[in-house]
Amino acid sequence: MSDLFVAQRTLSLRRLLARLAPHKLLLTLVAPALALLFAALISAIVLVGSGASPLFTYRSMLEFGLKPDQIVNTVNQATTYYLAAIAVAIGFRMNLFNIGVDGQYRLAALLSAFVGGAVHLPAPLHVALIVVVAVTVGAAWASIAGILKVFRGVNEVISTIMLNAIATALGAYLLTTYFSVSVAGSNNIGTKPIGASGRIGGIAFPGTDNRVFGLVFLAVLVGVGFHFLVNRSRFGFDLRATGLSASAAVASGVSVRRMVLLTMAISGGLAGLIGMPQLLGSSYSYSLDFPAGLGFAGIGIALLGRNNPVGIAFGALLFGFLDQSSQILDLNGIPKEIVLIMQGTIVLSVVVAYEIVRRVRIRQQQSAVGTDLATPTEPQEAAA
Amino acid sequence: MIGITKRFPGVVANSDINITVRRGDVHAIVGENGAGKSTLMKILYGMQKPDEGTIKIQDKQMSFSSPADAIAAGIGMVHQHFMLADNLTVLENVILGSEPTRAGRLNFAEARQRINGISKAYGLDVDPDDLVEHLGVGDRQRVEIIKVLYRGASILILDEPTAVLVPQEVDELFNNLRLMREEGQTIIFISHKLDEVLSLADAITVIRRGTTVATVQPGQVSARDLAQLMVGSELPVPELRESTVTDQVELQVQGLTVLSADGRTVIDDVSFAIHRGEIVGIAGVEGNGQAELVEALMGIRPAEAGRIVLAGQDVTALSTRARREAGIAFIPEDRHRQGLLLESPLWENRILGHQTRPPNTVGLFIDRSGARRDTERIVKDYDVRTPSIDVPASALSGGNQQKLIVGREMSDDPSLLVAAHPTRGVDVGAQAAIWDNLRTARAQGLAVLLISADLDELIGMSDRLKVLLRGRLVADADPRTVTPEDLGSAMTGAASEVGP
Amino acid sequence: MRRQRATKLAAVLAVAALAVAGCGKSNSGSGTTPKTGPKVGLAYDIGGRGDKSFNDAAAVGLDKAKTDLKLRIKELSAAPGETDAAKETRLKLLADGGYNPVIAIGFAYSAALAKVAPKYPNVKFAIIDDLAAKGANISNLVFAENEGSFLVGAAAALKSKTKNVGFVGGVQVPLIQKFEAGFKAGVAAVDKSTKVQVKYLTQPPDFTGFNDPAKGKTAAEGMYDGGADIVFAAAGGSGTGVFQAAKAKNKLAIGVDSDQYESASADLKPVIMTSMLKRVDIAVFTFIKDFTDGNFKAGPKVFDLKVDGVGYSKSGGKIDDIVSKLDDYKKQIADGKITVPDK
Repeated sequence: MSDLFVAQRTLSLRRLLARLAPHKLLLTLVAPALALLFAALISAIVLVGSGASPLFTYRSMLEFGLKPDQIVNTVNQATTYYLAAIAVAIGFRMNLFNIGVDGQYRLAALLSAFVGGAVHLPAPLHVALIVVVAVTVGAAWASIAGILKVFRGVNEVISTIMLNAIATALGAYLLTTYFSVSVAGSNNIGTKPIGASGRIGGIAFPGTDNRVFGLVFLAVLVGVGFHFLVNRSRFGFDLRATGLSASAAVASGVSVRRMVLLTMAISGGLAGLIGMPQLLGSSYSYSLDFPAGLGFAGIGIALLGRNNPVGIAFGALLFGFLDQSSQILDLNGIPKEIVLIMQGTIVLSVVVAYEIVRRVRIRQQQSAVGTDLATPTEPQEAAA
Repeated sequence: MIGITKRFPGVVANSDINITVRRGDVHAIVGENGAGKSTLMKILYGMQKPDEGTIKIQDKQMSFSSPADAIAAGIGMVHQHFMLADNLTVLENVILGSEPTRAGRLNFAEARQRINGISKAYGLDVDPDDLVEHLGVGDRQRVEIIKVLYRGASILILDEPTAVLVPQEVDELFNNLRLMREEGQTIIFISHKLDEVLSLADAITVIRRGTTVATVQPGQVSARDLAQLMVGSELPVPELRESTVTDQVELQVQGLTVLSADGRTVIDDVSFAIHRGEIVGIAGVEGNGQAELVEALMGIRPAEAGRIVLAGQDVTALSTRARREAGIAFIPEDRHRQGLLLESPLWENRILGHQTRPPNTVGLFIDRSGARRDTERIVKDYDVRTPSIDVPASALSGGNQQKLIVGREMSDDPSLLVAAHPTRGVDVGAQAAIWDNLRTARAQGLAVLLISADLDELIGMSDRLKVLLRGRLVADADPRTVTPEDLGSAMTGAASEVGP
Repeated sequence: MRRQRATKLAAVLAVAALAVAGCGKSNSGSGTTPKTGPKVGLAYDIGGRGDKSFNDAAAVGLDKAKTDLKLRIKELSAAPGETDAAKETRLKLLADGGYNPVIAIGFAYSAALAKVAPKYPNVKFAIIDDLAAKGANISNLVFAENEGSFLVGAAAALKSKTKNVGFVGGVQVPLIQKFEAGFKAGVAAVDKSTKVQVKYLTQPPDFTGFNDPAKGKTAAEGMYDGGADIVFAAAGGSGTGVFQAAKAKNKLAIGVDSDQYESASADLKPVIMTSMLKRVDIAVFTFIKDFTDGNFKAGPKVFDLKVDGVGYSKSGGKIDDIVSKLDDYKKQIADGKITVPDK
């Protein structure tokens, strides 16, 4: 009895240690850090090749990027990136590739901006209406791909890419034909600006009159919600099970068709939120210069953050920082496209690093289980 | 070939293994599943590199970094799972990867000639122009062997070649292998079926827990001796004691017809019933509709016609989840594909298939502590050997994975268990434990549908036997009287009625 | 598993490719910079210096100002899909760096400029193609693109043998639609029966239509096959594709913004009948010159036919025979006898 007790004690102790094991945590952090270093090295080589000093470049980026103005811009950029990456990540967790986040958020932003500009409601209702319209439009647009996949077997990568193109054309048509109000003398066209009741004020930041998007809290909320949905809910379990092994999920009673439909809709709904911080916090109207391509940035950031809400936050901040601090490069005569190279190499090397870590860890665990079991037990027990 | 010495400290797989295979021998390597046979063969075939140790062929030290190196050294491998392209002909499959060319064009004539030569020399009777998808399992295996010989192998490794064959096909295979031996081919034969090994091999090496225990001559030992060498203890025997069959029908299948994805009828008008406390075994050569029958029962594949009634409730139209909630438990034939999330920890695997029921969930949320507690229970009650419930399922050996699945499926008080090959690829210890679990559950009134390729298991563990051939239930058999040979004939359609 | 990983890899590669595709352009100014003198800052639209079109036209004016007026210059350019915040940062960088005046190229800077300008009352700003950003220190430089397009439209109608001409717009935005309106009016003024085929390469927010010669080529080929013998390429960098199509089909094309006969490669010169000129270079140069002369004036400054802010080119000699007719139209427009529609 006491032997068994001791054995169980050591077992639970070991489990505790395994969960807290510093080397495990270290591996999780060291891998991306090394990957970042590697990306910096590659970029340094490119910089030297283009005749610029890497040290000077990185230093000026850091100095400039950490000015209050740029910190605010970085946080704002990261907010939209974060929403974009989460929208992508929820699909990725079940191996569903929603490449159409880009079209979904643009269409959602356009239609919600139009609705928001057309109505006047008390503040909370006005904002709520705009957000609901955006989420609905994003979800509906993404669902087209979900329905095509489930009922016609169309690969979602293909259909969402096509839907991006259609969203672009449809958006341009709607904007130019029905939604636009012309501003005298401007060559820009956009929807009617959303009234004050539909706007969300920014948060002041010391040292700058740039304001942090009020909807930065929406991003935090979405991140927490994502975590609970994916890791704590039954739906999330089914989602992850489908991603890890569709066949096992089916055998366990998961309806993959239902999961595809739901996940596409959720991903699209989240995509609908991407444009909200910009729309409600800064531009108040969807016009020709509304930021584009956020959905694609989201794919890279989701990969970078390993589809994990905390990892994605780091990825979004990193990309936002690189975007903002790149502006100083131009001023110093360094091609700012170097930042695109950095972002590309970061994503590539981080993904490779994760894969290496994953394999190392599987091997470690297998050998750990091996050593753990090889020692004391006698085969007699097995045959008992 | 004079000596293979191989030594390396693998934590689980192999440690300090020494095997010497003489040229022209059939050398059997036996051991439980998970003893390290497959790893050893993968090293010999260049698929994995040893940490330590050397391989020598005819006193020459070899170092293989890929199967291509091994092939170049004259080593060929026939895998347990065939690696053939279904929509190509035998000829095309054989030459795939080593196509003979003349002036840049495929030289089919020469290839055909060589294939015919090989099949004649060893009695490997296959038509080079048949499409592989039309071939049976035995034929496919012959194609694999021809493929290896075609590449000029003089040392053949056969990994569990009889696992998928019926007894008649096994005899044929052994005749082929004897012919090869006469021609001077060296054969390394991996198996855990001791009778077969004793009847064929010239030398037998026993592996246990990753290391070589002994090398013996077949004349010197009995099957029992070998078995004890393998497991270090007595072999378990599949058997049921007194009947626990009740008169309450738990599962009633009526006129079940199932179509394949391309519209062929794979289960054709099948009807049977299972009572509470009864195990009904389905015998059949693999690919005769077992997988489809199981999937139709589980609601994974739709029924084209017929009814499935569980304890009086028609479940034909229910989803997989609803059926599971109604009390159907499921041990899938391929635990990696259908039974586990390999990368997830054990406690999450406990939830799989039971996502909607306590102790795993509270409302719409996962109950982590509940699931963890219950996983600890399964690990303890079902003797799952693991250091913790936080390791991923992939870290466990096959037997322990299977015990986890059995433990999981026995939870939540099921009334019907669909068990497809429940002991496939598990060690004897786990096998005995799983059989024990089945017996206990049966005594408590569980109805079990047992599908297995292991005829001893089927005969020993079933209250009634049915033979499935080309999607139809063609015969019944009484497990108390039927022999594996009789059952084998019925499975291939040679006999329509089995037993006395 | 394998499929999953392969797809993941593909996604990664695609992202990397997108990132790398953005590189390869550099936008350093040309020539050496004097150590003293006024500092001029210039913020380009997407594409920057080297886009062989709109931005380059501004660069020409800047370069002329630099040599003629002994200036120090700084050029920054926009990234595709960026936010207004990024544009604000850019303008602030220039203003903070002591650059005065600061010129924003393109209407995309409108909102950003409207926000930034009030914070720098001592810095003078100019913006091209926009009247919406107003302020005491903002000069709005705008063009009568429709008038210039009217003249090349008339030239096309006069020269077309098939009574069928084409208009390739880069991106379907109001600015380019202004070109279209003028072009159509010019064609109709000569011959109402001449058909005008219209095609825009992309829709916003996809602005690649200004820089995708392949798309331009395909569109123009379609028009030539459809019977057109002259196509007006109001499509920025995509115009090259239109010229290539004209060469392949042995037809003619009309350039835009600058005299593209001058900048085109030798083999494409013969197909360029004329170019509609939008003298961004003149606008930029005059603005800088007025500033250095102490004559900064806030508010709109229109560059139209009257002041030769727009016009048409004669290099290559393909329209020598109709110059008198075109000049007649020009006079009528300048005198207000013809009003060219702008949409």
